[in-house]
Amino acid sequence: MIERMSRPAPSPIYTLRGAGGALNTLHFCCWGGCAPVLFSGSAKGAIHVWDLNSRRAEKVIEAHSGSSVIWVNTLRSSGNLISQGRDMQVCVWDLSEGRSQLVESLWTGSVGFCQCSLLETSPATYLLGFAGQQTEEINVIELPSKTPVCTLVPEAKLGMVMCIKLWQPDSGPGPLLLAGYEDGSLLLWDVTQRSKLSQVKAHPEPVMCLTFDPKCLRGITGSSEKKLSSWMLDSQNNLQVQDCVTLVNPGVSQLCIREDGKLLASGGWDHRVRIFGWKKLRPLAVLQYHTDMVLSVAFSDHEDPRQRLLAAGSKDQRISLWSIYSNGAETG
Amino acid sequence: MEPVPTNAEVRLTVAQCFRTLSSSADCKDIVSSLQTLNSFLDGGPESKSTSAQQAEFRRSHYSRTLQFLVSNIQADWLHSLSAAQRSSLWDGLFLKGPPEQALMVLMEEVGQLRLSSSLNHLVSIIEKFLQSGRLADLLWSYCGQAAPSDSLQFRETLVGRIIALPDITANKLHPNNRPLLLPQEYYPLLAKEMLIALERTCQALRDGTDCSMTFVAQILGKVCIQGHSGLVLAVMAPRLSVCTRSDMLWQRVSWKLMDNVPQGWMESVLTGLVQAVSGPDALGRIIGNLVLTNKKTQFIMTHKLLLLQYKYKTQVLRTILGYLAADKDRRPLLVQVLRSVLQAWSNPSAVKHTPLEQQLYVSKALLLSVSLLKDSELQELRSELLQCMLSGMQSHLDSSVVRIRNMGMVVGECLSSRLDINGAKLKFEYEQNDETCELLSLLTPSTCDEPEPEPGPLNGLDCCEETSETVPPMQNVSLQNQSGSQPSKTDPDSDLDSDDELTPYDMSGDQEMSQASPPRYLRDCLETLISSEDRERLELSLRLAESLVRKNVFAAREISVQMTKVLLHMEDKYSINGFLGLRQATMVALTVTDCIPVTQYLTTEFYSLNYSLRQRLDILEVLALAAQELSRPNTDKKAPSIGTATTTVLAPYPGDNPVHWQQVVEKRIQSKTRRISKGATQPASKGSPNRFAPVAGYFFFPLLRNYDKPQVTFDLLGSDHLILGRLIHTLGLFIHLAINAPIAAQMGCALLDFVWAVRYHVDQMVRRGVLFAVCSVFLSMPSQNLLVDLGDQLFETRTWLADVAEGDSDADCRSLAVQSLVLLDKSIKKQLQDSKALSLES
Repeated sequence: MIERMSRPAPSPIYTLRGAGGALNTLHFCCWGGCAPVLFSGSAKGAIHVWDLNSRRAEKVIEAHSGSSVIWVNTLRSSGNLISQGRDMQVCVWDLSEGRSQLVESLWTGSVGFCQCSLLETSPATYLLGFAGQQTEEINVIELPSKTPVCTLVPEAKLGMVMCIKLWQPDSGPGPLLLAGYEDGSLLLWDVTQRSKLSQVKAHPEPVMCLTFDPKCLRGITGSSEKKLSSWMLDSQNNLQVQDCVTLVNPGVSQLCIREDGKLLASGGWDHRVRIFGWKKLRPLAVLQYHTDMVLSVAFSDHEDPRQRLLAAGSKDQRISLWSIYSNGAETG
Repeated sequence: MEPVPTNAEVRLTVAQCFRTLSSSADCKDIVSSLQTLNSFLDGGPESKSTSAQQAEFRRSHYSRTLQFLVSNIQADWLHSLSAAQRSSLWDGLFLKGPPEQALMVLMEEVGQLRLSSSLNHLVSIIEKFLQSGRLADLLWSYCGQAAPSDSLQFRETLVGRIIALPDITANKLHPNNRPLLLPQEYYPLLAKEMLIALERTCQALRDGTDCSMTFVAQILGKVCIQGHSGLVLAVMAPRLSVCTRSDMLWQRVSWKLMDNVPQGWMESVLTGLVQAVSGPDALGRIIGNLVLTNKKTQFIMTHKLLLLQYKYKTQVLRTILGYLAADKDRRPLLVQVLRSVLQAWSNPSAVKHTPLEQQLYVSKALLLSVSLLKDSELQELRSELLQCMLSGMQSHLDSSVVRIRNMGMVVGECLSSRLDINGAKLKFEYEQNDETCELLSLLTPSTCDEPEPEPGPLNGLDCCEETSETVPPMQNVSLQNQSGSQPSKTDPDSDLDSDDELTPYDMSGDQEMSQASPPRYLRDCLETLISSEDRERLELSLRLAESLVRKNVFAAREISVQMTKVLLHMEDKYSINGFLGLRQATMVALTVTDCIPVTQYLTTEFYSLNYSLRQRLDILEVLALAAQELSRPNTDKKAPSIGTATTTVLAPYPGDNPVHWQQVVEKRIQSKTRRISKGATQPASKGSPNRFAPVAGYFFFPLLRNYDKPQVTFDLLGSDHLILGRLIHTLGLFIHLAINAPIAAQMGCALLDFVWAVRYHVDQMVRRGVLFAVCSVFLSMPSQNLLVDLGDQLFETRTWLADVAEGDSDADCRSLAVQSLVLLDKSIKKQLQDSKALSLES
């Protein structure tokens, strides 16, 4: 009975202020025994480590010498932080025992905004994909050895690489890589064969962001237009565009699927975060709080699903945290 | 055998029996006398009496015998008989003889007896009489050649008694009436008995005997004129329709029956029949070409049911017109009907003066008859149709009632599409609703045939039950089918992982963003509204204008008149979504904020030159809304409870939305709380002054100033009656909102003076406005003022209101007039009581 009521639009459970710059990227680290934290990278070159219990910045790392930080992630085995900045560097930081020490850095040569993609292949070894020096070039290297694995350049002119996603299929030997390009094309690369498996024109405008659900082999891309385009991989690894969702306002900065495969979140240029059901792409909620473009969205990786949060970082220098569809009772 | 001795013999025997019965105390004698009497009725070879004797007894002694028996109903011997003897010897006498005589005696005696066991006995005999099908025998006896030769008067009485049987018994028995004798049971029974009589007639005709339908037709006519046509024809029409489907003889009998219905009762039979039959074909089979041969029928079918009455359902229209169209002999009548319906539809006076329901009915008839015409017939009527269509459209579109306009548009569209004027069609924009859809659907003839069962075995009584029994099995089958197919349909969707389990939040706030920055100051906003050519900025300004006005009261007062002027003249150049509403809301806000100057401006502009009707209506609407807002208690501090509660509760994870659980808790408390009485659940609202009262005069009187000065562009008392209606309505609203204000009395007098001149206006919108205004005057004016100030006018007003309540063509007007009369009476009564109380005190 209660479920049938149209509930009023939700509000954030709390917000984090004081990042001092637009928030390009967010990354949760809430698993394991340690206190849950949220990493954020700002346009002023600072990486904030937010303690989600005290809701304060625990630590601020001035990385990338003032250049905008566009991507942060953690290496699960070592607990190290990895960040990418507009200064064409990818840096690995040791944060254990209160340190904030630069362990390694790597020159990418990319002047674009394409975020790196990280894939854990075995404990302590990773593959890192990033846009290279040439316009259409993608490099994949192995960490921590920094051995180059391959360089992927499409034959046709597709413009800049806009976003990439490395993943390991259940069937098949090597990892695959999805890449969105400036002309709206979406390509599937085989990393070990260094060959293009499939290509599809997902948008007329540049692909701004993509996310992929390896469990059901479906993904979705956003662009600067009003549409989200969803596609899937068939058994022959062919990309097929499925359907699109029309948004009220154009422009999507980031897309994110929750770990349980139920929700999709999109951060829009219209200051709003939209929540969709991932199975049928049914619109579920519009989160309005920010006063400027939402640049990043992330779901937390809490082990207890009831504690799961959604974070949205915006150009208005604030991070909002939402608890949405995380309650067992209301999703049942 | 000589007739004379037989007659004397019979008379002697009967007289002897009577004597025995009245004097003897011996049970044996009595039984034997009764047996003797019975023997006159028992046919068959073993009968003791000859057939001549029997005929004589039936002719001249039967009624007498029954009367004698009833007059001795209290005699001891009757009670000394055993129950079996009583029912076979005594009751049997009533059931075996000529039924018409038995019925007459029974009815007569029932009418005379008081409530007693004897009456009960007689009533149970009547019941037996009805149950054993004697009524059919009676009817049949009048159909055959050997009809009882009796006087016309006797027949009339008999018909009357048969029809009035439920009334007579009910009058006698009051609550002890038997179920069978209630109209709901009796009339269907009568109908079944008539059907049986008809069936026997058919059988007799097959055997080569002549029959007469006069008596049954009389019964049918009388039962219908007495208002039982629904009950009777509900049984007869379906059966007749089935029987006449394949059997020519049945058709002839049915036609003859209808033809024989007396002229005076024809109408009620026909109206009942057209409602009871399933469709035009059935009607055609039952009444044949009666409409051609019978003048009365023709008048009823082609004129009265179509143009004078309008209470029937569309199906009835379909039946009548379909019936006219079905036969080539009857088709000329259809054309004639179309002509007269067209005349009625396009008559401007009818559009103004007939009730809306009737106009709808006529429109339906018009569309139906047009749909039934063939193209060749249409060609002949084309010029006539076109001319009437155009004039009719004009008078419909001139009306100020939306439904009439819609009707005109729909009918115009349909006619033009049917006429096919060089491929050109009329196309109007109107709101689709049930009424317009129904009208549109009439042009496509219903192709579904009457779903009638095949004629079953002609078993008289059983037939009706049988036809109704054939339906349920089919329904069961379809139900099973449905229930069988439903699970398979839902199966593929019952995916546990689907999104459906997630309930969406309210997403109404997800609007398009605009690039331009919203105005922050009222003057900027005004500037944009005046000069900007940028659509987005204009829209933003318009959207924010109301809130800016309300937030900055002082700034708004500085520019209120100027801004009102701008808004009043503003046009929706960019077709902004919700333009009219936004503009109106802002103007209302301005009027409320800076009441006197803005109302002065608006009321002056209302009568000035060079405004469109729309703008003048806007002025009235703005004034009315502003007055409403002013008169409402001030609600600045809206229940702050929810807002504060949500901010105070800040648990670590308070769920997705805090209001949600509060609603749940509130609901639980409500459901657990037992309330002895409703009301006063909230603390009593604080009184606040009516802000409208002091300024009501500024709203009201300027609008009354110039109404009779026609201008080139605006003639309030002439053609612009749309505005006149709105104006009067708005003025009435002002008075209502100014209730209890000292000025209300003055306003009321002025308004009554004003509306007096237009109280019989042709346009019903104006009349509605006038009546609304009068209502609100009576509601708002203190009763002593009403009597003192309006003393002499009141009686004229009363007669006028009574006149309207009785005779106005518009239903709303009538009910409003009744309402005003009630209010007026209440008010006068109260005043008289008050003055009486005062005089008593002094």
